[in-house]
Amino acid sequence: MPSRRRTLLKVIILGDSGVGKTSLMNQYVNKKFSNQYKATIGADFLTKEVQFEDRLFTLQIWDTAGQERFQSLGVAFYRGADCCVLVYDVNSMKSFDNLNNWREEFLIQASPSDPENFPFVLIGNKVDVDGGNSRVVSEKKAKAWCASKGNIPYFETSAKEGTNVEEAFQCIAKNALKSGEEEELYLPDTIDVGTSNQQRSTGCEC
Amino acid sequence: MMTSDLSSSPSSSGTEFADPNPSTDPETNSERVQSQLESMNLSEPSEVSDGSHTDYSGGDDDDENAGAVEVALSNGNEGGVSNGCVAGTSVEEEIEGGEASSRAEYPVEMEAGEEPPSPTSSGYDGERGSSGGATSTYKADDASEDEIREANVDGDTASQHEAAWLPGKRHVDEDDASISWRKRKKHFFILSNSGKPIYSRYGDEHKLAGFSATLQAIISFVENGGDRVNLVKAGKHQVVFLVKGPIYLVCISCTDETYEYLRGQLDLLYGQMILILTKSIDRCFEKNAKFDMTPLLGGTEAVFSSLVHSFSWNPATFLHAYTCLPLPFGSRQATGTVLQDVCASGVLFALVMCRHKVVSLAGAQKASLHPDDLLLLSNFVMSSESFRTSESFSPICLPRYNPQAFLHAYVHFFDDDTYVMLLTTRSDAFYHLKDCRIRIEAVLLKSNVLSSIQRSIAEGGMRVEDLPIDRLLRQKPNQGQAGHESPRDVSVGTGGPFGLWHFMYRSIYLDQYISSEFSPPVTSHRQQKSLYRAYQKLYASMHENGLGPHKTQYRRDENYTLLCWVTPDFELYAAFDPLADKAMAIKICNQVCQRVKDVENEVFLQGASPFSW
Repeated sequence: MPSRRRTLLKVIILGDSGVGKTSLMNQYVNKKFSNQYKATIGADFLTKEVQFEDRLFTLQIWDTAGQERFQSLGVAFYRGADCCVLVYDVNSMKSFDNLNNWREEFLIQASPSDPENFPFVLIGNKVDVDGGNSRVVSEKKAKAWCASKGNIPYFETSAKEGTNVEEAFQCIAKNALKSGEEEELYLPDTIDVGTSNQQRSTGCEC
Repeated sequence: MMTSDLSSSPSSSGTEFADPNPSTDPETNSERVQSQLESMNLSEPSEVSDGSHTDYSGGDDDDENAGAVEVALSNGNEGGVSNGCVAGTSVEEEIEGGEASSRAEYPVEMEAGEEPPSPTSSGYDGERGSSGGATSTYKADDASEDEIREANVDGDTASQHEAAWLPGKRHVDEDDASISWRKRKKHFFILSNSGKPIYSRYGDEHKLAGFSATLQAIISFVENGGDRVNLVKAGKHQVVFLVKGPIYLVCISCTDETYEYLRGQLDLLYGQMILILTKSIDRCFEKNAKFDMTPLLGGTEAVFSSLVHSFSWNPATFLHAYTCLPLPFGSRQATGTVLQDVCASGVLFALVMCRHKVVSLAGAQKASLHPDDLLLLSNFVMSSESFRTSESFSPICLPRYNPQAFLHAYVHFFDDDTYVMLLTTRSDAFYHLKDCRIRIEAVLLKSNVLSSIQRSIAEGGMRVEDLPIDRLLRQKPNQGQAGHESPRDVSVGTGGPFGLWHFMYRSIYLDQYISSEFSPPVTSHRQQKSLYRAYQKLYASMHENGLGPHKTQYRRDENYTLLCWVTPDFELYAAFDPLADKAMAIKICNQVCQRVKDVENEVFLQGASPFSW
């Protein structure tokens, strides 16, 4: 087992406040749901081990706060992310409209090496609410947005009922892993030829 | 019961240490101490400050404020006396405890379960039996951070700590949700600036991914504000941060060690990583923030855990000096000569070592080896089993010499303990170095150096019991004819003359130290660790910036009487029985210095300092 290399994937969850980011994560990691809304402060961190195609890897999930006042944390939080999950509430047009902002903000702050192909996943949450009657963002509209951003995978979920949550995270893991694998190709060989920089005597005196 | 000098008076600076309990010791008087030192005619008639203040709460204090008291003392010049404050000498902005937490509160929500200084641990590391009084009142506190106290198996039974300690990572099954993990007294973490775990002393790195992310969030948040977090105090816990470019190092400890030393430990941990990989890893992170360096460190866990272990037994980790195996002058001389020859043939550094001690070393012209590099190098070689099985040629980086690039190290063990290391800049030098080794081996055999080494190992180093007692002292009334024979000496049978238990002598010019072997009553690993912790505090208090020019310090608590003497040439740290007589202690210290000078050709490597060329 120790010989088998394990991979750690950093996953950032973004979206307006109240769209259900924390609930999704709780459903996925703890299989629990609470109707009570508790605003996330700053960020929550959860870890989940996932098996995928005979490989074991760890998702390090960064559940961020949706409130604008936390957005200054961006650079610190987004650095080195392997996948970014955008979440909106299908019952709130504003949360859908803001997806562009979230995506752009992420790309600016995280400045990934290949922004065009950085793996995003879109989740439309709360499809269970009011039997779908209060829904204002159609699946078609969401899919069109995804297509315009380079075919982002799209999932409609209910964190409350647990529908599609597992599937969404499977896809997240898969995409994150794919992007991680590309990076593995250029793990640099650190062996330098020692420069005969002998002058560099860093005086032993304290 | 001890009427210890336990007081929390934060002495401001200079020489005006007021003795808090002047009546308990009639001799705590600066002038007297000074005159006594002067009367010994040692070259350094130093200004004596009677630093009888004692900041050892001994760790046996359940009081949550113990930490705060320590702040008051160690940062006395900064006046920071608040629990939970962000402090430290290089802090750019000091944040008061309350403010720190309120600031940290809104951006980073740490789940109750993820809060590092978990209050749940306060119940466990508390007192350890009440003191029995008298000289046996020897408490070895905080000694077992390796183990949970309840499950402590290698504590007292393991008096030979180096032999008993097994390398390798422990408790990999734990994570931050485990109670046992939370109760560990000292954690070390290395992570990347994206929050990906690289190393954790305890537990599985991947399971600690969430915890690691929390640490990154804290550090990055403060960084975002153009600031830097150095230390967070929470009850008994200190959380020490060290940022080295894209690498974050964190220590969470309730061992009551000084901030300076904990930070120094993180520095060494980073240095060990650089030794294995060089600083070129920084470039990998620049290219790719997602970079995961754990695969590059594969198989080196034993190196890190062995280094962490050495923080509690190897004084080199805080003295920043190396120590030599005591050897007849001729043996060391013969070794040094052949090593110098070898260096003349294009080898950068040539060393013969015995375990962690130097037999002899030589460097190419103008190349000098920093004691910290030597420590990391010997730790790397000693903790990697594979070096013992065959001659090896391995890339290695000396962080203090040049952190950017690898050197190439040829390593060969002559026997279980003794090995040669030849460092070169040339990657094709293996066969040349092998020839060098054969030459060295021939000299070592011819001059019987290897057998001298084995003899020295068997005999051990200097012993306090063997200190010759000066005539002057013998004539003292009431002290018997000879210290180690006098039945009237209160501490006969334990340690050396007049209650001397242990000493360390560090030569400034040589970058070397010699320490006495442990003698009764300091016999168990736990007690030894505790004594080192006391020395570390002493060292920190003598080397603190801004506390004035201390030259001597005398302090007494229920565990020890400690005496420290710093001159431009050397530093002496000595531990005595807590009931030892102060005047006699000072005289014994002079004797120790004299004794070290008498045997310096055997215990030190002469002529290896940068001043020799």
